[in-house]
Amino acid sequence: MPETPEKDPVISQSLAGYLFIAAVLLLLSLAWALWQEFFGIRPWKDYEREFVSRYSIYLHKQIPLQEKAEKEIENSPAYLTLQREYQDLEKSILPKRESLESETALIDVRMAGVLDRLTDVRSQVAARGYTIEHATADSTKKQALVEGDLRPFQATKYTLTLQSLEGPGKFDSVTLDSKGLEEELARLQTMKAQLQAREGDLLRPLSEKQKKIDDYLHTQLFVQNRLNGLSVDQLRGLIAKMQIFTIEIKQINNPDAVIVDRCESCHVGIREPLKLAPADLETSSGKPDVMSQAFVSHPDMELLRIHDPAKFGCSPCHNGNGMQVDSVTQGHGEYEHWLWPLYHKGNMEAGCQQCHASDMVLDHAPVLSRGKELFQWRGCVGCHRFQGYDPEPEDLAAIQQQVQQLEQDRENDQHGVERANHLGDIATDNESARRYYLQANELRVAISKIDQQIDLLDNRSADVMRDMKKVAPDLKEVRVKIHPEWLPVWLTNPHAWRPTTKMPRFRLDEDDVKQISAFIWQNGLDVKLPAQPMGDPKRGEESFKSRGCMACHSIGEGAAQEGGWFAANLSRVGEKDNYDYLVRWIHNPRERSAPYCPYEKRDLNPADYEKHGLPFVFDLDHNRCPNDGHVLEVEQMTVMPNLRLSWQEARDIAAYLETLKKEEPSSFAKVPWINDPKVAAGGRKAVGFYGCAGCHEIAGLETEGRIGTELTKEGSKPFEQLDFGLHVAEARDSGWYNHKGFFEHKLTRPEVFDDGYVTKTEDERTRMPDFFESMHDGTAQAVSVLNSEPVPESKKWSESDLSGADQEQINALTTFLLGAVSSKYPERYFYLPPDQRRDIQEGWWIVKKYNCMGCHQFTLDQESVVMNLPQFQTPEGKGQLPPRLVTEGARVNPEWLAKFLANPSLSDTDTDRDGVRSYLKIRMPTFFFSPVEIRKLVRFFQALSEQPMPYIPRKLEPLSTAELTMARALFTSQGAPCLKCHAIGLAEHDKNATAPNFLMAPDRLKADWVRHWILDPSMIDPGTNMPSNLFRHEGSRWVFAGPTPPSFKGYNGDHAGLLVRYMFEINSAEQQRLIQMTGGNLKPKLGASTTRLESSPKVRIAGGPRPSGRGRETLAPRGPAGPSR
Amino acid sequence: MTKHKLFWLPMALVLAAMVGCSGNKEATSEQPAPATSATAEAPPTPIDPSTVGEITGKISFQGEKPKPKPIMMDQDPVCVRAHQGKGASFEDGEVNANGTLPNAFVYVKAGAEKYTFATPTEQAVLDQKGCMYIPHVLGVLVGQDVHIVSSDPTTHNIHPMPKDNREWNESQAPGAPPIDKTFAREEIMIPVKCNQHNWMRAYIGVMKNPFFAVSGSDGSFTIKGLPPGDYTIGAWTATFGEQEQKVTVGPKEKKTVDFAFKS
Repeated sequence: MPETPEKDPVISQSLAGYLFIAAVLLLLSLAWALWQEFFGIRPWKDYEREFVSRYSIYLHKQIPLQEKAEKEIENSPAYLTLQREYQDLEKSILPKRESLESETALIDVRMAGVLDRLTDVRSQVAARGYTIEHATADSTKKQALVEGDLRPFQATKYTLTLQSLEGPGKFDSVTLDSKGLEEELARLQTMKAQLQAREGDLLRPLSEKQKKIDDYLHTQLFVQNRLNGLSVDQLRGLIAKMQIFTIEIKQINNPDAVIVDRCESCHVGIREPLKLAPADLETSSGKPDVMSQAFVSHPDMELLRIHDPAKFGCSPCHNGNGMQVDSVTQGHGEYEHWLWPLYHKGNMEAGCQQCHASDMVLDHAPVLSRGKELFQWRGCVGCHRFQGYDPEPEDLAAIQQQVQQLEQDRENDQHGVERANHLGDIATDNESARRYYLQANELRVAISKIDQQIDLLDNRSADVMRDMKKVAPDLKEVRVKIHPEWLPVWLTNPHAWRPTTKMPRFRLDEDDVKQISAFIWQNGLDVKLPAQPMGDPKRGEESFKSRGCMACHSIGEGAAQEGGWFAANLSRVGEKDNYDYLVRWIHNPRERSAPYCPYEKRDLNPADYEKHGLPFVFDLDHNRCPNDGHVLEVEQMTVMPNLRLSWQEARDIAAYLETLKKEEPSSFAKVPWINDPKVAAGGRKAVGFYGCAGCHEIAGLETEGRIGTELTKEGSKPFEQLDFGLHVAEARDSGWYNHKGFFEHKLTRPEVFDDGYVTKTEDERTRMPDFFESMHDGTAQAVSVLNSEPVPESKKWSESDLSGADQEQINALTTFLLGAVSSKYPERYFYLPPDQRRDIQEGWWIVKKYNCMGCHQFTLDQESVVMNLPQFQTPEGKGQLPPRLVTEGARVNPEWLAKFLANPSLSDTDTDRDGVRSYLKIRMPTFFFSPVEIRKLVRFFQALSEQPMPYIPRKLEPLSTAELTMARALFTSQGAPCLKCHAIGLAEHDKNATAPNFLMAPDRLKADWVRHWILDPSMIDPGTNMPSNLFRHEGSRWVFAGPTPPSFKGYNGDHAGLLVRYMFEINSAEQQRLIQMTGGNLKPKLGASTTRLESSPKVRIAGGPRPSGRGRETLAPRGPAGPSR
Repeated sequence: MTKHKLFWLPMALVLAAMVGCSGNKEATSEQPAPATSATAEAPPTPIDPSTVGEITGKISFQGEKPKPKPIMMDQDPVCVRAHQGKGASFEDGEVNANGTLPNAFVYVKAGAEKYTFATPTEQAVLDQKGCMYIPHVLGVLVGQDVHIVSSDPTTHNIHPMPKDNREWNESQAPGAPPIDKTFAREEIMIPVKCNQHNWMRAYIGVMKNPFFAVSGSDGSFTIKGLPPGDYTIGAWTATFGEQEQKVTVGPKEKKTVDFAFKS
C-alpha cells in the first residue's frame, strides 16, 4: 500500500509570503537608498536651491529701489550738468565731425573708383604673368615675353573720371597707368587713416565724458551706501547668474596647501559683492531661519580681499571639517571624529594666530590682539614660554654661546699663527716660507675680525640686558621699599587689597605666607635711602594728573577709578611703600640700590668698587663690573620710564599719593617673625615652587627657569594630554570637553582640575594661581581657598560669575591659546614679510611693551588712555594732549627721531623739559631704550608711513635774497598767524606757545610732509590745533590766504613752497633776526611808528576795500536764530 | 538636464507606489511678498499756532558773586587796542549786576520729539570782535547755516570741538570771506576755540527743535511758540553745570520756569 505521501512541500508550502516581505523590504530599502541619495545626504542641495530662490527674490526687490535711486541721481543737478556737458561737447564737435566724415566719404567714393579699375588691372597682370611663367622654361624667352607683353600692358594708361576731393558733385579726370593707380590708392588710404585718427582725437573727450557720467552714478550709489554701489545693470547680472546656477558641490581646491573646502555649498552667498544679512534672505513667510544665517555674505569683505579664498580656503581660518557636506554638524566638525571643531564665534580670531604668530597687533583681530597683549601683561610669560615673548633671556644666552664659540675660534687661530710662523721659519725655500707667513698673517687678520665680532656681541649683550624686563617689581628692594606688615596682607590675597592688580592669588596657607614673607624680607638688600622732606600734595596732584602718570596708572577704586590699566592702581600705594623710596622711584624708576653681575651671579656692593679704587657709581654709562668687566644689570628691570622730574616735583607727587591711602600701614598686623631665619627657611622652597622669580627679581634666584609648560603650540595638543581631572564625564555632558572648555575653565579657576581628588599631595596640585576673581555680583573676589584644601562646592565659581572685564580677558586669552597651534600649512602661508612690513610687526611688540598707546594714537580708530581722561576733555585739555603719531614716519627725519627717542629732552643738561613740545605739561618720558629698540622703533614709524630707509633729505632750492625778505616779512606780519602759536625761544612769547619751535624744523621734519601739513593739517591730524585754510589755490599755485606784505607784489611763486623753504633755512641767527624785526618781543607793533612790516596789510584792511564783497553789513552781531532771545 | 529627468521618472514612480506618506512639502511657489516698505515715517504732528504757549524765566545765582576774571590779551596788540584800554573779562563764570546769570542756554530737552521743523533759512551769525566771539552762546537748528565773520584786523581760527559732530578748524585772515558751516547732529554744547587767542570761547547748541533761548544781561529768557505738552527744560551754563526741570504747558499758557545755580 502506497504510503500516503507526505505533504509535498513543493505543493503544500509557499514561500510567497517571505518573498513578498523580502521584496517589499528590498524595494523599501531601494527607495530609502534613493531618497537618501537625493535628499538625505545632500542637505546642501536644498541650501543651494533655497539660496537661488531667496537671493533672486531679494535682487528683484532691490532693482526697483535701485532704479529709483539711479533716477534720483540722474535727475540731480550734478548729473544733469555732466549730461549737458556731454551734449554740449557732442554738439560743439558736430560740425567738425561732420566735415571729417564727409571728407572721408569723398575719399571712399574716389577710392572705390580707383579700386574698381585697379582690381581689373591687377587680375589681368596676374593672369599675364602666370601665362608667361608657365609658357616656357627659357629665361631669355621669358624676358622677351615680359618686355613684349607685360610691360606694355602695365604701361597702358587709363583715363578715369573720379570723385573730386574738393566736394560732392565735382569730378576729376585723371590718366594713370597701373603704377599710378596703385600710388593713388595708397595716397587715398593714407588720407583716410589720417582723417580717422583726427576723428578719434575729436571723439575721445566725448567718450571720457561718458565714462565720467557712468562713474558718477556708481560713486553716488556708493556714497549713498546703496548695495555697495552696484548699478541696476549689475544687479540684473547677478540675477542672470542665479538663473544659470548649477546645483553642485561648490568646492575650493588648493593642492598647493592641501586645502579642500566645500563650505560654499551651503554658505553660497559668502562671496557675493553686496552685503547680505539674514533679514535679506528670509523664508517665503518672512522669517529668518537657519538658512538665512548661512546665506549671509562674509562679515569682513576686506579680510577676503587680503586672503583670497581660492588660495586660503575657509577651514584654515575657521576650523571645522571643510570636506564634509553630509550634515551641518559634521561640516562644522562638531562631532567626536573631528578634532578641530569650528571656532566658536567669540574665539573666531583664533584662526589668525597660526600664520600671524609674529604679529603682536593684528588688524581685523582685536580679540586675538588683546589676548596676545594680556599674555604679556598678565605675566603668563613669567611661567610659560611662548615663542616671540620675552626673547631677551634667550638672546642673551645665545650671545654668550656665540662669544664662547668665538673665543674658542680665536684660540685655535692663535695656535695656527704660531704653527704657520714656525713652519715659515724652518721652510726649505723662500717661496714656501712666504706662503706660511702669508697664512700666518691671514689668521692674524681673522683674529682681529673675531675681536671686533666679540666687541659687537658684548655691546649687544649690554643692549639685550637693557631691554630685558620683569613683569613685576624687584624684590631685592623690599626692605628699602615696603612696610613689612603689608607683605602677609598682600600675599594672602592680592585681589582683596587691590582688585585690579595683575598679581594673581596663590592659594597659600598662613604658614606659606609667613615663610615666603620672611624669606623675601631677609633676602632683600640691606641699604639705607636718604630721607626726603615732605612734598606739597596739592602741587603733586596737579603734576600727577597732568604729567602723564595716568596714561598707565589709575587712582580711585571701583566706580571712582580713573586712569590707565597698564600699571598699578596707586590709591593705596602709601599703605605699602616708604615715602623715601617712592620719591626715588618717581624721580627715576630705573635707579636701583645695587648692580647685579650676571657673571658672578650676585649683587655688587660698595666694597667691590672700593677694591678697585672706584666710586660706587653704576648706571647705563658705568655698566661694567669692576671685578671682571662683564656687563652689569644697572637698572630696575621695569618698563616704567623716567619723566625727568625735579626732586621737588617727585616729592610733591609722592606726597599726593600718600594722601590717597585708606588706612595707615600701622593698622596691619605686626610681624615679629619677619626677621626669624627659621621662619624664612621654608620660604626658599615655596618661592621656587611657585615660580615667583618668573616675574620678580629675587636675590639668588636670578637664573631660575620658567616653571610652567610651554604654550607656543598648546592649541594643538591632543585632547588626551589635557588634564580634565575628574571632570571628564561632566565636560562631555555639558559640551565643554574640548580645547575651548579646557582653557576657559583653567583660566577661570586653575585648581578646577584638582577637584575631587583625595590623594593628591600639595605638591601634586596645580601651582597655577588664580588670576580672575572679581565677581560680577559686585563682590571683589572669591573667598580664598587654600591649595591644600579640597574646594568646597560653595566656593567654586565659573566664568559666568566673573565680572565682565574678567570674562573679556579670559575670552581673549582663550582665543589666543586656541590659535596657538602647530600649523599644517606650508610656511610660505605664514605672515613673515621680508620688507618694511616686518619692521611694522617688530615695532608693535615694543609699542605694546612700553604702553606707548597710553599716550599716543598710531591709527585714528585706536584710542589712547589719556584722550579719555576727564582732564583732557575740555577745549584747554584737548590742547594738552600728546601728539598723534598717525604720520610720524612721513613727518620726522629718522635720524632725529632716534636722537629724540634716546633723550626726549634733547639736552644733556636741561632735562626737566620736553625737547619738542615744552608747552605741554604732559611729557614724553625717557625709556632708556637700547639702540636695538630705538632702531626698531624708528624703522617702525618709517614703515608705517611707507618711507624709504635710509632717509636722504631732498635738497630744497635756496631762497633768493628777495624771497628771504618776503618770507621774513610774512612770518612777522600781523596777517600770518605762525608765530602766535609756535615757540621761538623767547620766554615771554613762549608762555603762550602751543606749537613747536621752527628752529627744530630743518633737523626734525621732512619738507614734503611740511608742505602737505601747512596746506591742510586736518587731513593729516583731524582735530589738530593748527588751522586749515591758511592757503588758497590760485591757478597752479597756493597763495597765502591772508593779507601779504607788499614785497609779495608781482611774485609768481608758490607761497606754501616759499614758507617751507624758509622754515628749512631757519637757524638761531635767523630766529634772532625775526625777534629783532618785531622790536624784540614778536608782537607786531601798532600805530605809525612801526617797521615796514606791519604797515602794509593792516592799512589795507582798515582803509582799503575788503577782498570779499560779502559781509560788511553782516558783521554786526546778531542774536541766535531761535524764535526768541 | 535630460539625464536628470530620465532618472527622475522611475524614481517618481517608485516613490509614488511605495511611499504612502505623501511628501507633504509646503507649496514652494515663492510669491514675493508685496514690498510694503514700512519706511515711511509717521506724519509729523502739526502745531496749532492758536494754542501755543510760552515759557519765561530767570536764571538766578546764589552765593558769593565771583570776581570778573580779566583776559590778558597783550599777546596780540590788535586785541588790546580793540578794547580801548578798558580790557575785557571772561564771559564764563560772569554774573550780572542783578545777581543773575547771562549766557545760560535754556532749551527744551525732551517733549518736542514728535514735532519736526524745517531748517531755518535765516543764518546764525557768529562774529569775532575784539578777539571775542559774539555771541558767546549761540543756538542753531540742525542743518542751519552758521555764518562766521570776523570784524578784527587780525587772523583768527575757528575751531569747534564737538563730541558728536564733525570737527574742523579753519583760519580766517583779516578781510577773508565769511565761513559758512552747518552742524548735522544735535549737540549740547559745542565749545568753539581760537587756537591763536586761547581765551576766545563760544558755545554752540545744535538743536532739533527751535525752543531755546539764551539768558541775557538781566538773566531772563523767553521760549515762545511752544505747543501744549509736557516738557523737560534744560538750563546749561559753562561754569555752573546743567540743571533741568519738568514743566507742563497748557494751551496758550505762559509758564514761568526759574533756575537757580550755585557757585
